[in-house]
Amino acid sequence: MSTPEEPAQNPEGVSRREFLLRTGAAGALIAGSAVAGVKLWQPNHFMPGFEAQKGMQLPDYRVHGAKGLPSLAIAHGATHDQTIRAAIGALGGMSRFIQKGDVVMIKPNVAFDRPPALCATTHPEALRTVAKMVLEAGASKVVIADNPINSPTGCFLKSGLRQVADDLDLTLLYPESESFAPLQLDGEILRNWTFFHEPFKKATKVIGVAPCKDHNLCRASMTTKNWYGLLGGRRNQFHQQIHSIVSDFALMMKPTLVVLDGMSVLMRNGPTGGRLSDVKPMGTVVAGTDMISVDSYGYQHLLERDIAELTYLHKADKRGLGNINWQQTVYKEVQA
Amino acid sequence: MSTGAAPPPATGRGAAPPKRKGSRSAFVRTKVSFFERALSIGIVCLLAGIAVALWYAGHHFDPSIYSVTTADLESTRQAVAGKAGTLRVDASQTGDGASSAVLPSASTGPAAAQPDAGSEGSGDGTAAPATGAALKKEPLEIALPGIKPMGDTEFYSSDDLYQKIDGRSPAYQGFNFQELRCRTFSIDGDGSSYVDVYEYRMDTNVDAFGIFALERDPKGKPLPFAKDGYSGEMGYFFRQGDVYVQIIASDQNPKTMQMAQAIAENRAKVLPADDSGLEGRRALPSAGLVAGSITFTQDNAQGQDFLKNVFQGTYDFEGQKLSYFVMATTPDAASTAWKSYLAFCGKYGGKAAQAPDIAGAKVFQASNFGTYKVIYQRAGQLGGVVDATNAKAAADFVSQYLQGQIQ
Repeated sequence: MSTPEEPAQNPEGVSRREFLLRTGAAGALIAGSAVAGVKLWQPNHFMPGFEAQKGMQLPDYRVHGAKGLPSLAIAHGATHDQTIRAAIGALGGMSRFIQKGDVVMIKPNVAFDRPPALCATTHPEALRTVAKMVLEAGASKVVIADNPINSPTGCFLKSGLRQVADDLDLTLLYPESESFAPLQLDGEILRNWTFFHEPFKKATKVIGVAPCKDHNLCRASMTTKNWYGLLGGRRNQFHQQIHSIVSDFALMMKPTLVVLDGMSVLMRNGPTGGRLSDVKPMGTVVAGTDMISVDSYGYQHLLERDIAELTYLHKADKRGLGNINWQQTVYKEVQA
Repeated sequence: MSTGAAPPPATGRGAAPPKRKGSRSAFVRTKVSFFERALSIGIVCLLAGIAVALWYAGHHFDPSIYSVTTADLESTRQAVAGKAGTLRVDASQTGDGASSAVLPSASTGPAAAQPDAGSEGSGDGTAAPATGAALKKEPLEIALPGIKPMGDTEFYSSDDLYQKIDGRSPAYQGFNFQELRCRTFSIDGDGSSYVDVYEYRMDTNVDAFGIFALERDPKGKPLPFAKDGYSGEMGYFFRQGDVYVQIIASDQNPKTMQMAQAIAENRAKVLPADDSGLEGRRALPSAGLVAGSITFTQDNAQGQDFLKNVFQGTYDFEGQKLSYFVMATTPDAASTAWKSYLAFCGKYGGKAAQAPDIAGAKVFQASNFGTYKVIYQRAGQLGGVVDATNAKAAADFVSQYLQGQIQ
């Protein structure tokens, strides 16, 4: 067994000054490390699927206090302008939703670089009419944005929507890398994901304008599925649970108004289509404040299918995010 | 047990360091060289650099890190060959970069900066037939007067097809999609009109026919320049070899449609015509065939696991609409499938019985749930009429087909 030895001593010793200097330097180093740690810590850094941190949440853009007015309107007509005006008019007019000075974000579906006639994207005349009505109601600014996976400039150009933005002097926002922020949601599958946030920074109202079309994976793409275009990252990985993610959009977004363009409907080979024979003229526009009700009508009467098979609407309905039984809502059907 | 004695206490500044045998703790450094100081500073700087790099990486999420890169699975290809159709690739696809994508810098940018269309190929707009492998990463050049490319050629692999067609991509991957090459061409003198050219290369001719048949427009008009093809109101669609070609016009303007047709004819000439593997397709008779009715089912046709690579068409025959199918395979497989089919048709209250041979073919007739089947097997071919409402018409059709009276 060994005996502890005496610690070695500096034969030169340490002066009081040197001791204080060394102690101060060590303290400064520790304090600097702490400050650096605080600075480098990223409260919003997240890894999709493994995150515990908080992201942003969207505000509720709905307009309340409209008792007695319909929440759903169905209009039949010959042109986009007449029919959309009739539908929104049946809801009480755009003034019910938009007040003077509002900054309005309109979300079209611009997922593909297809010509408008193929109905894979929001029709330019649908966007034009809605944007005009918003401006007529006194909005100070209208922002148009979507995040197509493929070349946003090409999609907006070929779909004819860039021309509408140019004609009406709308603010068209293309997705840039700095346009995204983490979104936090208590969804069935959507919990923390990068989101195209830039268009919403100053928006006071949000309107979705979507085509009514067949979809290869989730059967139908309408106003609820339209919000998919706001997600960033490799969002195709959600395709494995498409009905869950689409139903989460009813939780993610509480829009002021949604407009479902059923003037011509892509009945098959969606969501891209490619043939005019895939498209059927239906001469109908559905507008409302409950996207689940709007889509329910669209699936049954525009795509002419059995609502029992559209899982994501049932999921949203069960979670209290909308009413799949549109007939039970206050609705109005008009002829333009 | 320590052998050394305790050191004497320090006596103050300037005292000589105590020297003790057998104890290293007595050594005290009083000088640090410049080299050591520089080295330690370098190490501290290196650590700081690592910290900054980690901070930077943490701020820039790269989703590709967590995606599956099929190229990394290349070494497993042999082990799964024949088991997973989606991993089957011909030798031409094993070259480098087969699974990467080249995205356009501006796929619909102005045409002015682009080279003139038709810088390659002969004067009539044709070029030497390309092989399937040649589609890879070669710009889609079309030598026709009156068109200009609106941007670079885009390429997509199975990994990133969704970037172009998003939710539609699984339909193509179900038919062993390999590569998409596409480009947009503007019509000279009309800035608002354009034609999109899509060339989807599938794994085999049968795969290409399968996706073509899935999307077929039943009202499309047959094309004189492509056997498996049709024209619609805004485009041309056909299968050529293992490539499914879509030519989509931006509008129905006659000039745009004329150019779309010229481009379609060009692609039909340039892409190699190859019908190998489509024996079943060729075995379908032409007489009485309802235009646009041919479908292809790769697996589990008619709900039967023994029916694979089945071509089926609808025929007008003696006032009846008949569904007629053909499966081309080996004689043994065809014989086995015929027996399985016969056994199945006799179950669940159905009635099935073998009929006399016709022109060297084994035949059985069956009735199930009020409809009739007449199924034959001859050599490596299994076929027949299914779901007929008229038993005699079904039997007559099969009999006449087997005797060569319907071709």
